[in-house]
Amino acid sequence: MLSDKTIEEVEALKRRYPDPRGAILPSLYIAQREFGWLSPEAFEAVSIVLGVPKAHLRGVASFYAMYRHKPVGRHLIQLCTNVSCMIFGAEDLVSLLKNRYGAEVGGTSPDGRFSLVIMECIGACEAAPAMLVNEDFHNNLTENNITEILEKYK
Amino acid sequence: MIELTINGKKVSTEPKSTILQTALKNDIYIPHLCYDKRLAPYGGCRLCLVEVEGQKKLLASCSTPTEEGMVVHTETPKLHKARGTVLELLLVHHPLDCPVCDKAGECDLQDMAYKYGKTESRFVRQKKSSPSDIRSPLIEMSSNRCVLCGKCVRICGEYQGCGALGMIGRGFPTTIKPAFGDVLECDYCGQCIDACPTGALLGKPYKFQARPWLLEEKETICPFCSCGCTLTVGVREGKILRSRGSEDKGINKGDLCGRGRFGFDYIYNKDRLKTPLIRLNGELVPASWQEALLYTAENLKSVINTYGPSSVGAIGSHRCTTEDNYMLAKFMRNVVGTNNIDSSARFGHAIVQNAFYMGFGVKAPPIRLDSPLGKELILVIESDPTVTHPMLGLNLMGAAKNGSRLVVIDSKETKLTRLGSKWMKLRPGTSHALLNGIIKVLFEESLFDRESVKNITNLRAIEDLTKGLSLDNVSDITGIPKGDIAGLARDIAKAKSRLISMTLGVSDNTKGLDTVLSAINLLIVLGEGPETLQIPAEFSNTYGLYKMDVRPDTGFEADKGVVEMLYKPGGLKAVYIVGEDPVVNFPNASKITETLRALEFLVVQDIALTQTAGLAHVVLPASSWAEKDGTFINAEGLCQTIRKLVDAPGQAMPDWQIIRNLSLAMGKDIGAGRLEDVQREVKDLLGKESYCFNGLLLNPLPYARLKAADGDYPLVLVIRDLLQHSGSMSTRSRSLSLVVADSFLEINDADASKYGISDNSYVKLTSPNGSIYLKSKVTGLVPQGVVFTPTHFPHAGVNLLTNERTSGTTVPDMVRVEPAGARPER
Ligand code: SF4
Ligand code: SF4
Ligand code: SF4
Ligand code: FES
Ligand code: FES
Repeated sequence: MLSDKTIEEVEALKRRYPDPRGAILPSLYIAQREFGWLSPEAFEAVSIVLGVPKAHLRGVASFYAMYRHKPVGRHLIQLCTNVSCMIFGAEDLVSLLKNRYGAEVGGTSPDGRFSLVIMECIGACEAAPAMLVNEDFHNNLTENNITEILEKYK
Repeated sequence: MIELTINGKKVSTEPKSTILQTALKNDIYIPHLCYDKRLAPYGGCRLCLVEVEGQKKLLASCSTPTEEGMVVHTETPKLHKARGTVLELLLVHHPLDCPVCDKAGECDLQDMAYKYGKTESRFVRQKKSSPSDIRSPLIEMSSNRCVLCGKCVRICGEYQGCGALGMIGRGFPTTIKPAFGDVLECDYCGQCIDACPTGALLGKPYKFQARPWLLEEKETICPFCSCGCTLTVGVREGKILRSRGSEDKGINKGDLCGRGRFGFDYIYNKDRLKTPLIRLNGELVPASWQEALLYTAENLKSVINTYGPSSVGAIGSHRCTTEDNYMLAKFMRNVVGTNNIDSSARFGHAIVQNAFYMGFGVKAPPIRLDSPLGKELILVIESDPTVTHPMLGLNLMGAAKNGSRLVVIDSKETKLTRLGSKWMKLRPGTSHALLNGIIKVLFEESLFDRESVKNITNLRAIEDLTKGLSLDNVSDITGIPKGDIAGLARDIAKAKSRLISMTLGVSDNTKGLDTVLSAINLLIVLGEGPETLQIPAEFSNTYGLYKMDVRPDTGFEADKGVVEMLYKPGGLKAVYIVGEDPVVNFPNASKITETLRALEFLVVQDIALTQTAGLAHVVLPASSWAEKDGTFINAEGLCQTIRKLVDAPGQAMPDWQIIRNLSLAMGKDIGAGRLEDVQREVKDLLGKESYCFNGLLLNPLPYARLKAADGDYPLVLVIRDLLQHSGSMSTRSRSLSLVVADSFLEINDADASKYGISDNSYVKLTSPNGSIYLKSKVTGLVPQGVVFTPTHFPHAGVNLLTNERTSGTTVPDMVRVEPAGARPER
């Protein structure tokens, strides 16, 4: 279930559009924040508040890659491995994340700390390699500084 | 009007209509896969492309509005090429398994490929080959054949208000399925099957039954509710294989509910009667028609001779044709010589007729299934027309979608409480009190035009009645906050157009004459007429049987109705029941059984060996709705033809013929050699109805507080209909039983834990009249203090618990629940 405060947040979004379907995308983000990922319960909860069938919600959500469709760790690493980042060693970072934390591509470290998703170019080629950790942006990554950075995310 | 040219033809059209709509209306066909006139334009399939002069691009005609002077071409080489390419792309992943697809022969995709497609595709990709999803009871989903037009998703969500399906995924792998790929659990209306332009959605009962072109399709009227939908029934080798809606046909314009689509197979139940049966040494044994009719005639005559004609009674049937019912009434009046005749309408339609006469002064309530459309405010009172009258339900939902304010007053969460503008949760059986409270507010705040209604009898009395009420009290009784009651009263008063919609049927135990009359009072005070209160008759021919005078009240006080016939042991000596199963369908079943057992002679005429038939001395086998010609009159009073589609099993015969033969056996010829003779007389009778208006009358009715819950029976039992069933005959349908096969008891979580009841366990339900056993469904959808159960299921015996509602007023049924003892786990 969503907390009362979250329900109010979704209700407020709903009021901003003539058709509640307009509020689907941001509402799903709120539910995702609340549930950690878009679980069946998350859809159920949004469906009740927006009055939009959950089949429709899931249909919309499944179109977008950036929702969390599976449970994720406490922190989500989105690492770019496109051309520029690849040239500057992104593949080594992928191995490092796997060896050091046990975070496989598309998976989660056994301790539930990190999930790793590989991104297409995130527009930071001039300071490659680059990644997002949750909503924070980091660039000019090396095998040394990445572990330092990740120390901040427990 | 807008003028434009399509393919050189000048046509005119309404502003805002699209090119496709205009073309189709003018018999110019433009191919289309994703357009459906019930839905908003979608523009997804790109098959409906047209050329418009002066426009460089090809336009999708389904989503392009017409403009003055437009010149449109729908069949040019360029368009053929474009459509060919679209089809080529649609077929890249399609398995092209037409030889084993039930849709082949009536498949839009196939037809279009036939017309515009190429024999070879330039694109080679893997064909889709996932297994079909056959888990749902009635609908098979073969996503391989899906072209992602989205019609099913939109019909289900936008139109049907169910929203069971979604387009899950992105790009080619997108699949039509429930949210999480779970088993499809929905209304089972099958609307998506008819909407699908390919073989991706199919009705399971029809799977591999026959190629569509081998079916003989005929139109008839649905045997279930009083909407009176037109069914297109497919017959092959003397058997009905499927039923579907046909675009634009009938009052339903092609829409159907699950009962009309899947329920016809009740006629193939194995308990169909094939020969007459006579009771010999306590057992019903097969007999010939001659034996049975002579035996019946003799016994009826001897009862008449000994006790007089008024010791005989008859019950008619909403499942039988108008002609059948006419003949029964004629038989009782002319051969037996009595007016003792009645039907299930006594518990619903007759009450409504009576109330309309008492209040509005009119005889027949003017019913229009489309009356919700365009109303500013619609009030639905303790009813769910989406279940009982699905076509009316669609119009209620349509009205709400188009801006009507839909206020639903109900104790239970329903589709309408979800889709409406406001749900007021009320204690079951208290809407009468609520309506009185609303009237009170109207008076107190002078919310109506007193001047224009000042001459109506009893205005003062109504005012006095409501003066004696306090809103606190009304709020106490109904459970609705005071402010909401006053707010609703103001909204109703303010609205420029209004409608009250409710239903009243034989299983209803929360509404009655009192509810209807207080709704009428409210409307009269507001200056409204009878068309603002919509209470449609219940079943396919409830209206018709009433019109045929299958009712006692045609003048003589002494005439006996359902009450004297079924609830007074020893009252009558012989009863003739046609097409009705009172032991299952009417309240207080044990009293009815006792009364029927006390009879000297009971004749039951029906299509199956019902529980009532099991008590009879003679059982006469009748043809079902699909095995005879005749008419049904729907809720609107529309007389529609039903057709003989298949032969009756064994020696079963149309009811009207049985009745004629019985008259002959009793030594009286009541005419009716052929159906046409009966129909001529029926027509005369229908023509006789003269418009009557007796003046308006307010009927002040104080709300008598329902018997309060007491320690022994703390819960209110509410009986509600199920969407997949209608009366009890539908439980003989194999298809419908795949969805809901058995009765159940819905109970609130808190009550469940209070009484130690776990979900899906057997519970014992007890009222002062008896006990029954039901499976529990613990749910948050029902309020505390109330339990819900469906009617329909003969073996559940719900009516063993209920009270007689013979006076027409609401009588609550109070019960208690307890776990039904320890059942070994697994
Ligand atoms: S059968 Fe009716 S309710 Fe079920 S998915 Fe199809 S359209 Fe929706
Ligand atoms: S299943 Fe049929 S109606 Fe639904 S999207 Fe696919 S082709 Fe269209
Ligand atoms: S049950 Fe009623 S709504 Fe359903 S198909 Fe039959 S007549 Fe139509
Ligand atoms: S390639 Fe990695 S940020 Fe552009
Ligand atoms: S019918 Fe116009 S795009 Fe499908």
